[in-house]
Amino acid sequence: MELSTATLLGAWVSIFLTICILSFLYEDNPVYKLAEHLFLGVSIAVSVVEAYYGTFKPNMLDPVGRAATAVASGSDPGWDAVSVIPLLLCGVLFLKLVPKLSWVARIPIAFLVAMFAGLKLTGEANANLMTQVAESMPNLGQLWIDHGLWDWSADGAGVISGLVLVLGLCACLLHFYFSAPHNRPLRVVSRFGVLMLMFGFGASFGYTVMGRISLAIGRAQELLGLDRSLEQNAVVHPRIATLASIVLLVGVLAVWKLRGGKPESDEATES
Amino acid sequence: MFDFLVRFQAMDRRWIFLGMAIAIVLPLLFPFKMPFRVDERVQALFDEVDRLPAGSRVLVSADFDPGSRPEIEPFYRANLHHLFRKDVKIVVLTLWESAPPLVQPILEEIAGIYGKTYGEDYVFLGYKAGREVAIKSIGADIPKTFPTDSRGTPVERIPVMRGIQKAADFALIVNVSSGNPGTKEYVMQIQGQYNLKLASSTTAVSGPDYIPFYKAGQLFGLAAGMPGSAQYEKLTFPDGKVPGGGKLMATASMDVLNLGHLYIMALILFGNLAYFITRRRD
Amino acid sequence: MKRTLPLIITFFVGIVMVGEFFIPHYGYRMLTDEFLQWGLVLAAAAYLLGIVNLIQVNIPKITQRKPDWFYKLIMLLSLAITLAIGFIGGQDRQVEGAAYRWVYSSVFTPLSATMFSLLAFYIASAAFRAFRARNLDAGLLLGAAMLVMLARVPIGENLPYIGEGLGHLMNWIMDVPNTAARRSIFIGGALGAIATGLRVILGLERSHLGD
Repeated sequence: MELSTATLLGAWVSIFLTICILSFLYEDNPVYKLAEHLFLGVSIAVSVVEAYYGTFKPNMLDPVGRAATAVASGSDPGWDAVSVIPLLLCGVLFLKLVPKLSWVARIPIAFLVAMFAGLKLTGEANANLMTQVAESMPNLGQLWIDHGLWDWSADGAGVISGLVLVLGLCACLLHFYFSAPHNRPLRVVSRFGVLMLMFGFGASFGYTVMGRISLAIGRAQELLGLDRSLEQNAVVHPRIATLASIVLLVGVLAVWKLRGGKPESDEATES
Repeated sequence: MFDFLVRFQAMDRRWIFLGMAIAIVLPLLFPFKMPFRVDERVQALFDEVDRLPAGSRVLVSADFDPGSRPEIEPFYRANLHHLFRKDVKIVVLTLWESAPPLVQPILEEIAGIYGKTYGEDYVFLGYKAGREVAIKSIGADIPKTFPTDSRGTPVERIPVMRGIQKAADFALIVNVSSGNPGTKEYVMQIQGQYNLKLASSTTAVSGPDYIPFYKAGQLFGLAAGMPGSAQYEKLTFPDGKVPGGGKLMATASMDVLNLGHLYIMALILFGNLAYFITRRRD
Repeated sequence: MKRTLPLIITFFVGIVMVGEFFIPHYGYRMLTDEFLQWGLVLAAAAYLLGIVNLIQVNIPKITQRKPDWFYKLIMLLSLAITLAIGFIGGQDRQVEGAAYRWVYSSVFTPLSATMFSLLAFYIASAAFRAFRARNLDAGLLLGAAMLVMLARVPIGENLPYIGEGLGHLMNWIMDVPNTAARRSIFIGGALGAIATGLRVILGLERSHLGD
């Protein structure tokens, strides 16, 4: 299999940069910081390029261009003419950079914030309030017919679970109710709510561990060449690239240490 | 013994890191391929996609970036294989600015394996800024939100987009979601309003958050984290062979999750044990 | 004028967007669709504004040789180079062999993915140092976490005698206590978001206007 020099170089650069970031696990060091700032620069640039070609150009510049061409040729620009408004709003937004006129930028900001506020309001009310409340009320009759009190083969579905769900939800909500002092009965209910919340947070922790390990697996697969075909590996030699990167980095860090280099914060090394 | 336990608790964190690295690398080098089950939520997702008649149109919102790639890229790949195999027409878009250079090549690679034609069988509409605003706009008017595809071709000239006006015109929407904007925002902004058939493949961190959506019928299927992707791979490629010679990356990673989880559990157990013994002595 | 006009715009746009959910009338939808388009463009413009701001903040640090100036220089150089190859590549920036695609897959992808992967190591350290069953609540949290961690991977599923039961128990935790806990958080969050949204629309919350 033949790979272009750029592809081969890319594979080695990718492995080297991975090792640079992983070096933070030993301690904060200049190579890590260099890679970190490289990442910041590239990621911001990627965002801007994609925002320009994905949104700015097709949704504003192209229709404005068409409208301008139409006007110049004496024909009707039609609906494209409306695109001048977002162009103006964007121009006004950039006045934020001019101290004397920065207040004018409040207009597009107000527009955007109000739009998000309006969308959030109805979205939250519909999906997270109404639907969740409605779906939490168990149909006990149907649960009894389908599963009885407790159906182990259906993950504990049944009347008991239906009741635990709705009572647990109420208890959690009461736990977050601060408009009245938590007297004894309320404390008991609130306690039940806390226990339910602990179950939920515990499950979240379990899933979070899984997610974090998964991300490290992805990097390990690249360093070991397990994400490529055997033919590609025969050309790229990812394990040699990994080893070479580690050796190079250890050398650089050794020189840095010998010259009296210290991590800027103790956070990375404190035990 | 007491001193040892005190020192054990204060051990340099780099030893813990080293242990984690070993727990990840060892099973990758020496896999033991343990079987795993498919959960009801992934099965529901697969079945619904599998029931689609040829020629249906599906919207895939690929909202992830390299940061969550190992968890949900395998799902994205398997789902595209599944859809192309069933001769379903696919429209892919993304709401993540760093996603297009990642998701577009994968779409083209898999389309190439099945001999699909760009524009006729699939299209990549590209990225749209605006998060919830973009989702709301997709629900209302897709040609207005995406006047062109990622190559700059006007949507009215793309055959696969003919007759598509809004999100509800798709048979299904599959959201490959790595956070915000993603599944939660789709559910909030348009799923309920237009009664859309929405499924989600998401990161493990978001998994527990989306289960209430699945239980409430707002999602018809849910594949959470690497196990969710591995299960979808298992259903899509029952013989373990990927057309085009690809690898089942999530399935191959399940062994590592085994050891990784055991390692973390051991850390918690030993950490607690040492804590309780030394606390009693204090 | 400086305050009133933005407040009027906030009220008008907010009310119109709330109405979008309830009013399916064609004419009204034309208005809201147009508003959404402007919103998309403004959101994209915010990226451009951000970049100008970033340059404004970092250039003086470099010219005055402030601490970390060299790293800031690297950041701005990588930003400039990536922007240049992105815009030179234009609509074809993502084709096979394009410089932008190379930077994305060989520089951005490993850096981004590895940054996130560091969390696996830190969560291991946190699990060892901080995850203590100090009381019943913490014990329950720990128990649920351990059960989910074991049951979610093949080794737990394949444990003799208890593997299947573990799976059922984990699913019950996810479907019942977890759902109850999440829904309470959703409902609380929704009430908060509605209240905040109303405050913004009615002009009671003005922090976005710099007040």
